[in-house]
Amino acid sequence: MYDFVIIGAGVIGTNIARELSRYQTKAIVLEKENDVANVQSLANSAIIHAGHNPEPGSLKARLNIWGNELYDELEKELDIPLLRSGAYVVAHNESEEKQLEHYLQISLQNKVPGAKIISAEEARITEPNLALSITKVLTLPTTKVTYPWEVAFACMENAMKNGVEFRKNALVTKLEQKDDHYLVTINNKDRIETKNIINATGVATDDIAALLDSSVEFKITPRKGEYFVLDKHMKGFVNHVLYPLPTEAGKGVLLTPQVHGEILVGPNSVFVEDKYRTDVSFEGLAYVKANAGLLAEGVPFHKIIRSFAGIRSTSNYHDFYIQESKEHKGFFHLGGIESPGLSAAPAIAKYLLSDVIGIDSLYPKNETFDPFRKKQPEFHSLSLAEKQHLIEAYPTYGNIICKCEQITEKEIVDAIHAPLGSHTIKGIKKRTRAGAGLCQGGYCEEKVMKLIARETGVSPLSIAYDSDDSSLFEEETKVEE
Amino acid sequence: MKRDIIVIGGGAGGLAAAIAAKEENKDVLLIEREDRLGGILNQCIHNGFGLEVFKEEYTGPEYAEKFIEKARHLKIDYLLNTTVISLTKEEDEFILYTSSLAEGIQKYTSKAVIMTTGCYERTRGSIVIPGDRPKGVITAGSAQRYLNIDGYMVGKKVFILGSGDIGLIMARRMHLEGASVLGVAELMPYSNGLTRNIVQCLNDFDIPLYLSHTVTEVVADEKHRLTQITIQQVNERFEPIQGTEKKFDVDTLLLSIGLIPDVTLLDNLPVETDPLTKSVKINQACETSVPGLFIAGNSLQVHDLADNVSKESERAGHHAADYIDMKRTKEKGIPVQAGDHILYVTPQYIDFSWGNAEIICSFRSRKKIEKAALNVTQNGKTLIRKRLNFVVPAEMETFELNIEDIDGIGDIRVDLEVLS
Repeated sequence: MYDFVIIGAGVIGTNIARELSRYQTKAIVLEKENDVANVQSLANSAIIHAGHNPEPGSLKARLNIWGNELYDELEKELDIPLLRSGAYVVAHNESEEKQLEHYLQISLQNKVPGAKIISAEEARITEPNLALSITKVLTLPTTKVTYPWEVAFACMENAMKNGVEFRKNALVTKLEQKDDHYLVTINNKDRIETKNIINATGVATDDIAALLDSSVEFKITPRKGEYFVLDKHMKGFVNHVLYPLPTEAGKGVLLTPQVHGEILVGPNSVFVEDKYRTDVSFEGLAYVKANAGLLAEGVPFHKIIRSFAGIRSTSNYHDFYIQESKEHKGFFHLGGIESPGLSAAPAIAKYLLSDVIGIDSLYPKNETFDPFRKKQPEFHSLSLAEKQHLIEAYPTYGNIICKCEQITEKEIVDAIHAPLGSHTIKGIKKRTRAGAGLCQGGYCEEKVMKLIARETGVSPLSIAYDSDDSSLFEEETKVEE
Repeated sequence: MKRDIIVIGGGAGGLAAAIAAKEENKDVLLIEREDRLGGILNQCIHNGFGLEVFKEEYTGPEYAEKFIEKARHLKIDYLLNTTVISLTKEEDEFILYTSSLAEGIQKYTSKAVIMTTGCYERTRGSIVIPGDRPKGVITAGSAQRYLNIDGYMVGKKVFILGSGDIGLIMARRMHLEGASVLGVAELMPYSNGLTRNIVQCLNDFDIPLYLSHTVTEVVADEKHRLTQITIQQVNERFEPIQGTEKKFDVDTLLLSIGLIPDVTLLDNLPVETDPLTKSVKINQACETSVPGLFIAGNSLQVHDLADNVSKESERAGHHAADYIDMKRTKEKGIPVQAGDHILYVTPQYIDFSWGNAEIICSFRSRKKIEKAALNVTQNGKTLIRKRLNFVVPAEMETFELNIEDIDGIGDIRVDLEVLS
């Protein structure tokens, strides 16, 4: 019997898992995908917002500001990548300057540290490519950028180290209430028993809720956002996150510098019927291009290396819905966790456990909780002397597999065998950046495939790109008769 | 120990450059990141190589072997499984750091460097293909490597976007291996591959070529596997035309949408880049704006034929040897400008300090022209005027300039004139 089943291993589910591992509970995280952070947490703006637009007094505002602070702690304890870029919200004319003033007031009410309005001239000192039409900017120094999947890896690894279990490819197909516990059916066959269920399933939150609850207070109306990624050689084209003024549809098309130097351009915002279709369109990407031009002069669109789309779980509740089911005690929903969900994630986990569940009165502290997790060294970011030193200890650091990002055999083999390791091309890319660069895996995918085959002892025929059903090859041609 | 010349990349270009330099008794080191010499030639198991250089037809691996044998005969030093991780220059010395499993990080120095690092394939990210991003969309060169080197078929029902030569070659290759190849879509109103490849790889196997068409939708199943694509005809502005949709049930979409010179190693050197070639600018000696840094082959400009890579790189090898032998004061040189209907032209400068080097210029047209005149002019004076029939972007054209005809001042312009 589990104390907690957490459904969903995105940034929310994994942060909850880690917070839960501070207590003496038996807990498991169930993920329908073949990896953690594979849906919403994989495809978003990657920004830890300062908090300039959530409605003052809302849960979104409170948890955004608190979560932003908590990321500094997460960086120290979990070794997650953070780029302290800061952000500028831009205005182009007098009417926009008035709105900027409004968002300054919201920022001050939300207690966003250091928020103030400065002239475009002053902003151009650190942001020389700022669009010439911009007249004033709201500066938000606490804005940071991360890789959301790295946050999820770090939290899940640390939770596992402290006793939480993890199961991937585990789709919850049925929930039943028994006398004092719940029965969770996985993939229509396995059953596990639990006292509590935490529903952290992003766009699926209302569907999972409906497996037990007869009425659900929120409905997810998913919005798709399309993005471009610019090659990391464009590092420095923008140094801050650049926001337009927010609208009903969200924070708008942004320019976001990434930790390793790439620049994210997007997203647009389109309501979609299908929760899981993340297709890109001519229209969507054209919209993104047109709007990015309002932020900076000469956005280098010839340096695009990738386009993608992500889904946000917007709900009709308009705020984060973090509550216990009205009908089923011990069934907790995290609905409508759209932006600033990533920013708020560590705070959402703490808020759920303390304010909603009241964990301190239910379970004793885990005295052996170890808050620390160390990421494996990133070869490409080290000095020559450090590289040499690592190679002396582990010669396979010398074998460069991904040439664009300088990712080595050792890093890939570690990613295969780690407790939260992966045996897929995409999983290795998420963990090591092999294939994330200029040639997008054109050179290294074959080499990564061969390393996975060698390390796991399986035939290349069964190696998958992502899900178990997405094998790279249809058949072998050089078969001995 | 300081070398005379280090050649980076041991494919068609690097082999020819290293051989040429070694034949002039220079101390040459060739560095290759793969476990064998030959580069991409190793996966090109079709024939058609060597007609220009050897007047005989070989497969890619056979063609490579001719050069590898010669390199061995000349006792050229080479490193395998070794990746150059940084390239810088201090004073007159190039400093290279390499990384390998066998040797860890090593430092090498040289008087000159020849970059023959080839090119990489444009991926889906660099163009917009609407729709899902499933497994099954793969570049033609990657599929070629999987099939010809590793022995794995990426799919059985194949469509190809882009009519670049690798795409055409792979259409035939996948067909011969038992896949059903449903067609090739090309955005432009003409093919981007060599005519001989259209004939031998598509026409001979009844594989349809859809000109002025592009893929406008990619559909995946719930497991993110490719299941269907839609192609549509495009107008002159490359916008899809309603009502021309054709759907194909496929498990694989091969992309053959262009190649880009790989010059990322030059990030830390003050080279002058050329947005037209997506590489760096050179003078007639294949020398970049950094004295002693030479570049040739597909890392300089993407060629149609490996033979031309060899010939250009051989020249670069000779010039690098010449650079070691002779003190010269490098000049910026006379710019060579790509004019009307010219996509790009190399070299981008004529440097009088390299007066002894023959001036072989290469260019591509921006569009298909049935009857054209090539006009090369300087200060209103005609250097070359010649008629060209059937000029297409897919086929690189060359011409030669005589240094004695060139003034010491004034840009040289290369234009194509459309004749009626």
